[in-house]
Amino acid sequence: MFMKTFEEKWTAWVDNEMSATERAEFEASLDDRAGAEAEKLQTLRLGALLKEQLQPRAMGNDEFFHHQLRQRIEADSRSAASIPASRARESWWTIRRLLWTGATSLAVFAVCTFFVMREHPAPEQSEYLTQILNAQVDPKVNPYATVSIFQTQQDRVTVLWVDGLKSLPSEYAAK
Amino acid sequence: MVRTLFAALIALALWSSTVEAKPRRGGKPRRAGKVWSGLVVATNAPRPAPAPPEVRPLDGTLRRTFGYNQFEVIGQSHRALQNDESTWLAVSKHFSLHVDPRGVTRDGYRVNLQLYQDRQLLLETTATLSQSSPLVIKGPQIGAGQLLLMLVVQ
Repeated sequence: MFMKTFEEKWTAWVDNEMSATERAEFEASLDDRAGAEAEKLQTLRLGALLKEQLQPRAMGNDEFFHHQLRQRIEADSRSAASIPASRARESWWTIRRLLWTGATSLAVFAVCTFFVMREHPAPEQSEYLTQILNAQVDPKVNPYATVSIFQTQQDRVTVLWVDGLKSLPSEYAAK
Repeated sequence: MVRTLFAALIALALWSSTVEAKPRRGGKPRRAGKVWSGLVVATNAPRPAPAPPEVRPLDGTLRRTFGYNQFEVIGQSHRALQNDESTWLAVSKHFSLHVDPRGVTRDGYRVNLQLYQDRQLLLETTATLSQSSPLVIKGPQIGAGQLLLMLVVQ
């Protein structure tokens, strides 16, 4: 057994939940018996008053309330029933359909690329031009020879232009 | 079903790569660098003969640049250049072209060219020959015409 605190004994005394022996012992232990009795009386009155005033209020429009409640429940039921339809729409993008869509897109891309590449073949020309690094003419044989280099805009021809070489007779054109 | 789809996708990818790798229709396949060289005599004629097939692609440029309307090939060669293997290219009765390959770079074929008139060195030049960029050298005047030396990497 454990010892009850004073507050527990006080509460039990106020609520008249003590046995006669306990009540006698508790009342004997009180210093101010009259004050305690007065306080007990006030507490009981206050409890009775609270019980009287805090009764649940009766609803005057309970039919309307029930009607609203039924409507809300029906609306919730309808929205719950519509969920499977939206799930069905989401499930249209299955893995299989995604694969088909991807394969179809790839095929269309390949066909378009094939036709575009066929109509516009990439140029085969190198980006580099022929370059003359150096050029020289024997000064003893052709002392007045000069050399210049340029490139034509058309056909990307590099020309090494040598002037001042000795002219030769036409028989030098023989094969 | 899914396996079939994956197989179709792989086949499509392979087909696409094949289409890309194949030489395009009408395009020239790339070959190892062969060089056409020609000794050409340019003249003016009232009724010019058609240019030889090797010169024909550059006929317009040659006409505008050198002022002649007829081109005759008096010597030509068509051969691949081997590294460090000097050789004779186009040769005519009086002229000959000697080439000394110096290797292949990113820009093209590095060569040392020597034009001989009979046994006499007339002109020497070092050049980097690039594909699709012909080299034309203006040589000496011959009679009423002009000697041109042409090199085209094919």
